[in-house]
Amino acid sequence: MRRPLEIKAEEAAARSVVSLTSALESISSMQIAKTKNKVLISNQFFDEVWNIYKQIRVDVMFNYGRAVDETPFNKELLILITAKGGLSGDIDNRLIRKFMERYDETKNDVLVIGHHGTTKLKQSHVDYNYYFDLPEHDYINVDPLMDIMKKYAKSRIFYQNYISLSQQEIKEVDLSDVVSSKGRAVDLSTVGDDMVTEKTYIFEPNSYAVAAYLENSILRLTISQFIYDSRLAQVASRFKAMSAAKERSITNVTELHTEYNRAKRNQVDTRLKESMSGLKKLRAGGEA
Amino acid sequence: MADEKEQPQEASAAELLAQTHGGKPTIAIKVYAPFKVYYEGDGYSISAVNDIGPFDILPKHHNFLCMLVPCNLVIESPEGQKIIKISRALMHVKANRVVVFVDV
Repeated sequence: MRRPLEIKAEEAAARSVVSLTSALESISSMQIAKTKNKVLISNQFFDEVWNIYKQIRVDVMFNYGRAVDETPFNKELLILITAKGGLSGDIDNRLIRKFMERYDETKNDVLVIGHHGTTKLKQSHVDYNYYFDLPEHDYINVDPLMDIMKKYAKSRIFYQNYISLSQQEIKEVDLSDVVSSKGRAVDLSTVGDDMVTEKTYIFEPNSYAVAAYLENSILRLTISQFIYDSRLAQVASRFKAMSAAKERSITNVTELHTEYNRAKRNQVDTRLKESMSGLKKLRAGGEA
Repeated sequence: MADEKEQPQEASAAELLAQTHGGKPTIAIKVYAPFKVYYEGDGYSISAVNDIGPFDILPKHHNFLCMLVPCNLVIESPEGQKIIKISRALMHVKANRVVVFVDV
């Protein structure tokens, strides 16, 4: 059996872990509330822009805002949105697993957003071609990312989606599909008076220029929204991981405390036995 | 045969009253970005600049959609003049309502 002092020291260390995980859990909880609120506010903005885009769309072929004479690389760009650092639970591992199912070195180039993703890719022996830090501020400038995307025929994004505090999922979408589907009016007869055409609207400078600008805007907003979604899912995953770690460390402290009590009792019993046996020996010597 | 086609309804007195301030006609204006509302309320006019040049939107303007170039948006509101500096935006005017989507 281990010595009580040794157990006591381990218990103190475990209590520090409880305090630390508890603090991180509280921080994550605050971040969730803040991020969730922002995502809700931004969704209202995105929905309104998408609604206009849906009514104005003039071309079913989404082309990432490329000029007609530009020839893209015949490769698919895989974009991964991962956490800034560790302590984000298993969500990045799940994202990398999903990415690996699709990844083919000869057919794909890789763009990583978030430093944790680069670490995970190195562990999986995958080289990435482009890297960006995960944006922390509200305003996200995705123009450098869009400049890279324009070079590729296709782009697929892997991101984390928040469902609830206890559930986050990994999603992968083809960016051209998602933007086209958002821009497609399902049934033209249902659009009615809301249709944005040259008959019902004044466009400046002209309808094609406005449609092209909106196409770029929608792509920009779509990517931003995926980043916001991923940030929310990451803090939720961190909260879940910290809650689990706190529970485990509390159980650990309880077990260590029981073990300490046993060891202490054992030590007292041993000393008592030694004293009794010494006393017996003394008595036996006196009688002789 | 009776004509079943609905006749366009004229704006009610309440609607007209709601779209005026001190007898002057107003237009609903909202200027916002994903995380920030710069202005929301009624105004007498909103002025901006696009590729063609500077322009004003007044109440009852025709449906209008345009991209704005970096400029100062000037809103004449019952509370006074408001100036908002923008770098990239989309303006949508419909049904006596102007929405400026900033940073799109």
